[in-house]
Amino acid sequence: MQRACHNPSVIAFRTGLAAVALLVATAAAVLGARDRPLSILVSRQLATRAHLAVGDVVTLAADAKGARAAAFRIAGVYEPTPDPMVFTAARLEARLHLPDLIDLVADPSDPSSREAAGIINLKLVGPQDGPRFASDLMARAPGVAVRPTARSSTSDPFAVLERFHVAISAVTMVSGTAFLLALMVIRAEERRETVGILRLVGISRRSLLTTVACEGLLVAALGAVFGVLLAYASEGLVNHIFQARYDTTLVFVRVTPSIALRTIAVAAPLGILAGIGASWTMLRREVLSIFRR
Amino acid sequence: MTSLALAWRTAQRYRARTVLAIIGVAVIGALLFDMLMLSRGLLLSFADLLSSAGFDVRVVGSLSVPSLRLPITGSTSLADDIRRLPEVERVALIRLESATVRIAGGPLRNITLVGTTDVGEDAWTLVKGVNLKSAGAQADRCALVIAQPLASALAIGPDARLTLNARPPGVVSVLPPMDCRVVGIAEFAFASTDDETAATTMDAFQEAIGQPGAADADLVLVASRQEAGPTATAQAIAKLRPDLRVFSNEDVVAQFNRNGFAYFQQISFVLSSLTMVFAFLLVATLLTVSVNQRLGEIAALRALGIGRGRIAAMLLWESALLVGTGGLLALPLGAALSVGLDRILRQMPGLPERLHFFVFEPRALVIHIVLLVITALAAAAYPIWLTARLPIAATLRREVVG
Repeated sequence: MQRACHNPSVIAFRTGLAAVALLVATAAAVLGARDRPLSILVSRQLATRAHLAVGDVVTLAADAKGARAAAFRIAGVYEPTPDPMVFTAARLEARLHLPDLIDLVADPSDPSSREAAGIINLKLVGPQDGPRFASDLMARAPGVAVRPTARSSTSDPFAVLERFHVAISAVTMVSGTAFLLALMVIRAEERRETVGILRLVGISRRSLLTTVACEGLLVAALGAVFGVLLAYASEGLVNHIFQARYDTTLVFVRVTPSIALRTIAVAAPLGILAGIGASWTMLRREVLSIFRR
Repeated sequence: MTSLALAWRTAQRYRARTVLAIIGVAVIGALLFDMLMLSRGLLLSFADLLSSAGFDVRVVGSLSVPSLRLPITGSTSLADDIRRLPEVERVALIRLESATVRIAGGPLRNITLVGTTDVGEDAWTLVKGVNLKSAGAQADRCALVIAQPLASALAIGPDARLTLNARPPGVVSVLPPMDCRVVGIAEFAFASTDDETAATTMDAFQEAIGQPGAADADLVLVASRQEAGPTATAQAIAKLRPDLRVFSNEDVVAQFNRNGFAYFQQISFVLSSLTMVFAFLLVATLLTVSVNQRLGEIAALRALGIGRGRIAAMLLWESALLVGTGGLLALPLGAALSVGLDRILRQMPGLPERLHFFVFEPRALVIHIVLLVITALAAAAYPIWLTARLPIAATLRREVVG
């Protein structure tokens, strides 16, 4: 299908490292220059924005004025790999074969521009040789920056964000512990006379402490399980809202078994401590003073 | 006895639970306060950073955001034209290029070389040595002000000598090295903690890249006159060269708000909402359990002639005491916590050293107070409803029989 519009629409976007313009209406004018248009893939977002479909012929140009324009046939529409570093950016992209892209954007007056590449991806035979290889290459070609594709924990912004989230979790755990402790104090006060009677009939402090520790553990564990279930149930909703908001397939929230286990593992000892702490003052008293006598 | 006095006595009687509730509210309130500071902190800090350089309009040649710089053709004549505009007070040209430096006998280091016509105090904060406009520096063919991380990495100070090689990307450079003298060490406003940057005059920069007197700038910075303002100045510059992109600082901040800042706004909103719900649950649960424990006592007060309104007011005061005291304690606690959280987030690579995530503004304090008042009112609602429909005789009888 050949697209032709009376009102040319121009969309500026990036292919690889080059900013190019998509000129939907001028395809017919340049198609004659080549018998068969070259194939490209366009991102789902670009296809939606420019109302493109597989088989359409479009014109790509080096700039919005149509410099060095060439016609391309859309061979497919792809979903860009979600990238958390640019999730707020509109992914208006197209994929071309490298020679086609160079034909499109290279400066005809500068033969060396056909040799220029923004990034070269390498796969090393021995991944462990990465730092040595980077050091060697930078020494031989000053001005070239060599970086591993796997981020180290010091340079990864997501490692920093993880530390931030862990710190926030710690703060909420402190607050949650105070909440649990207050509830357990109320429970202990409610059962003051019951505890006194149990002590009078010979139940030891140790047994009573074990009971309140079990109660604290149960409350904390049930609370943590409820929290995990709530997070699991709301996971889809949160992802749906943010995926729609940013037009991406990026997964924003994922409750993994490891996170669930960590939540319960942290909550359980805090529950035991809250249970024992809340009852400790009362249980260490003499029996009669428990009855306020 | 007033409702406030009754509430105060209840708080004193149940001291442990009151203290724990206040601690809980203080901690969660501190988090709420921090999230309110985070909601616009990065934006405020970024705006402050932009304005600290003393320029309020930026001109770039790229089709996109100001950070993607392409050289502006004819930038020297453009700068002259801009200077002649009545709205303009000051103009500076900036050009960035990759380069390498080496001290005698040392290894090569990749750096970012900045060439600028603005060599005044606004461009960076000098911490050692002298600035590029000093008489001693102007006598040098190539004087450099280098960033602190670079000075530390090379273990040099003012008056050190090094060789500089510009390495424009995409070309094989055979440019001869330049002998340069370090005249000063500075903190660059936009440099990150690990950024190795060196700045020099535009003349020295042009010589370093092999285009003496001819190189175009990547960025033109303009300070508008106070009476004209940045918007009118940006419009006037855009009319001069329609092929360029002209941004006022407000435009740059607005663009940053739309793109780079979204994550922190979202997380701030989500966590503020969660902390509100948590504070509400905490106070509402404690008040409800406390009221259930004191139903007999409240029925007795009602039997003595104390009206529903005073009982409701007492519960409202109890809630206000818990939330108010916790909320007040949350302010210093939140300020201290924000220092730690800010330190964590500022470990992100490539962030300007002077950029902060948590910035206090009166707006955050006002919202904090309003949200806590709403929480206190909402938390007291259910216990008040419970006591309002309390059957006095039946409750007293149940209490006596129990």
